[in-house]
Amino acid sequence: MMDEKKINIVLAGQGNTGKSAVFNYLTGLHQHIGNWAGKTIEKREGTLFYDGYTIDVLDLPGIYSFTTYSVEEVISREYIIHQQPDYVINIIDSTNLERNLIFTLQLLELECPIILALNMIDLAKKKGIMIDSKKLQGILNVPVIPTVASRGSGLTRIVDKVIELKGNKTEHSIHAYGKEIEDCIQQLSVLLKDNDLPYPVRWIAIKLLEKDKVITKQIGEKYPEMPEKVKQLCEKLEEIHGHDSSLVIADERSHLAYQITREIETIIARRKASLNERLDAITTHKFTGYLVMILILGGMFFAVFTFGNRFSGEFDKVFKNWYNWWNNTVGTSFPAALGWAAIESILALVQIALPYILPFYIMLYTLEDWGYMSRISFLMDNLMHKMGIHGKACISFIIGLGCNVPGCLSCRIMESKRERFITAVLVTLVPCSAVSVIVFGLVGKYVGLWWALGLYLFALIIIFIAGKISSKLSLGEPVELIMPMSDYKTPQFKTIIYQTWDASKEFVFIAAPIVVISGLVIQAINLAGWMPTISKVLSPVTVNWLGLPAITGILLIFGILRKELILVMLAAYLGTTNFSDVLTPQQMITLAVVSMFYVPCVATISVLWKEYGWKKALAICVLEILFAILLAGFIKRILDFVF
Amino acid sequence: MRRHRKGKINSPDDRTSLCDITDGQKVVIVSMHSGRTLTKRLADLGLTVGTEIKVIGRTLFSGPIQIEACGSRLVIGRGLASKILVELK
Repeated sequence: MMDEKKINIVLAGQGNTGKSAVFNYLTGLHQHIGNWAGKTIEKREGTLFYDGYTIDVLDLPGIYSFTTYSVEEVISREYIIHQQPDYVINIIDSTNLERNLIFTLQLLELECPIILALNMIDLAKKKGIMIDSKKLQGILNVPVIPTVASRGSGLTRIVDKVIELKGNKTEHSIHAYGKEIEDCIQQLSVLLKDNDLPYPVRWIAIKLLEKDKVITKQIGEKYPEMPEKVKQLCEKLEEIHGHDSSLVIADERSHLAYQITREIETIIARRKASLNERLDAITTHKFTGYLVMILILGGMFFAVFTFGNRFSGEFDKVFKNWYNWWNNTVGTSFPAALGWAAIESILALVQIALPYILPFYIMLYTLEDWGYMSRISFLMDNLMHKMGIHGKACISFIIGLGCNVPGCLSCRIMESKRERFITAVLVTLVPCSAVSVIVFGLVGKYVGLWWALGLYLFALIIIFIAGKISSKLSLGEPVELIMPMSDYKTPQFKTIIYQTWDASKEFVFIAAPIVVISGLVIQAINLAGWMPTISKVLSPVTVNWLGLPAITGILLIFGILRKELILVMLAAYLGTTNFSDVLTPQQMITLAVVSMFYVPCVATISVLWKEYGWKKALAICVLEILFAILLAGFIKRILDFVF
Repeated sequence: MRRHRKGKINSPDDRTSLCDITDGQKVVIVSMHSGRTLTKRLADLGLTVGTEIKVIGRTLFSGPIQIEACGSRLVIGRGLASKILVELK
């Protein structure tokens, strides 16, 4: 039968354990990245063909426990319980054994078949940590295999083990809690014996004592008398231990992890601090840390823009030829022009994706794979906290500097809905590479570099103020930063390429349809000859309030497509790229300020729509348009005094 | 439960909040007042009453603090750190 040759395995583990490296190694190009049904959380699936078997591999999100703290945790436990994978491969960071074992113990409580991968065993050895994997296997009664995922070593042994053990019923050793807790579990288990929920009885009992909201509700519906009973038992535990019953259990679990670790781990006194440790001390130091951060990020942007501008210029030349070819062979009729508008939108996307976004991603993921992003979160947490969000949001901001689309998508790393939304709104105010083209191409070139840099500082201040306001407006407590800090690792080329590929793909898929459609609509309006009317209608704002030429009304509409079009089209309409002939310095600065803030581009709007619903997306757009116009108007009036 | 990890608990005056500990010092958690959800979260990461902590460093202007516990490092926001009471080892 075909079925016998099919196996499905799940990769589970905490963050930064090398889970993705294992996944990439096993599945290679046979992977599919989608979303969990109805959730904005990435679902990574892939297939491995091995020894005549078809092995489906699913990479669960990196989580630290199976509570209901985050959506990822709920998704993971539901998947393991309902889909009943043949094997759960628990990837463990050997350099952080104790913390990782706390998770493993919770995985064991789910009573699913487990294989433990002691990953990064080489790094542990380097740190002087010796782990007796045989002993661990004996204690936990599950197969334990040391691996080094970055080199792929040990991974085929896991697959071999999966195939070897397939179909065998595994007996788990139960890890007993203290006597009082076990008593409670026992009492509840008896009462729950005949329940028809898919969960293991012991697990339900533990979750009830942990006051798990989802399980308590489900059980409460079936056994109306249970909540009262659970409450009594919890109170009993709390009386004995002096704190909340959920903590009593978590305490004992982490204590168990501590004991196991002491039994299997020997730490050998080390030689002097390694290079990575010394680097770590410098990059998280309260003075040098900030200096290094500024140097690294500054260098990164300098590199991306130097490269991007050159590369983008080359594209311009090529596309101009294509445009001429199109006009000569297809013509300039209404449908032909519309056809070109569609092609141009795609080309525009390529022109921003290849020269700017791709190199940006490569550098970003190199930093991430190295482990530097968590250092930035650490250093910036303080500032972010003043905006009611925490340090991790800084990563979204940095990504947003490249492009707002992945910036907004990356807000998924924030724990609560409230913070996700605030961060996304603020990211839309971050000047992306397209806006930078305007700022440097207009202000930087014709008014002065310092003015351009000043505008960046200004954007930073605006974001800070907006953050303060939005965190005041959206109710709820700000979440505190709790972030494991992993050691620096040598970045893995393969991982970086995979991540860059995924992210670029996501960018194109989300942005492409909407960019093409709106490109067509705007071009149709243009061809219908309504543009002059529109610029006349907008002139009270553009001419009277902002003091800009009437033509800018049209430019700003095109700018919604992608913001650097404002500059490109300005040159086309004016018939010159020497903007200083036609615009005064204050006009340039005013135009740059409007372009920075007036509205997120369509691609970003589509992400906001997808992630937060059309109402919120629309509200952000309207607010930002009003805000940008007001702000730029005031700035124009101030600048009138300066120049 | 964790007596072997616990030092002798002295008078309440010896208890200070985690954010008042100077860098490089080793302390033991005495009590946590961070609310159920966060305390549970910390417990899942290995931080419970009785856990030994080494303060590694912090950022400027009352930023988060970096600690080492159970063989791994953790960054904790200052507000949360102030709710964790510790005593010197």
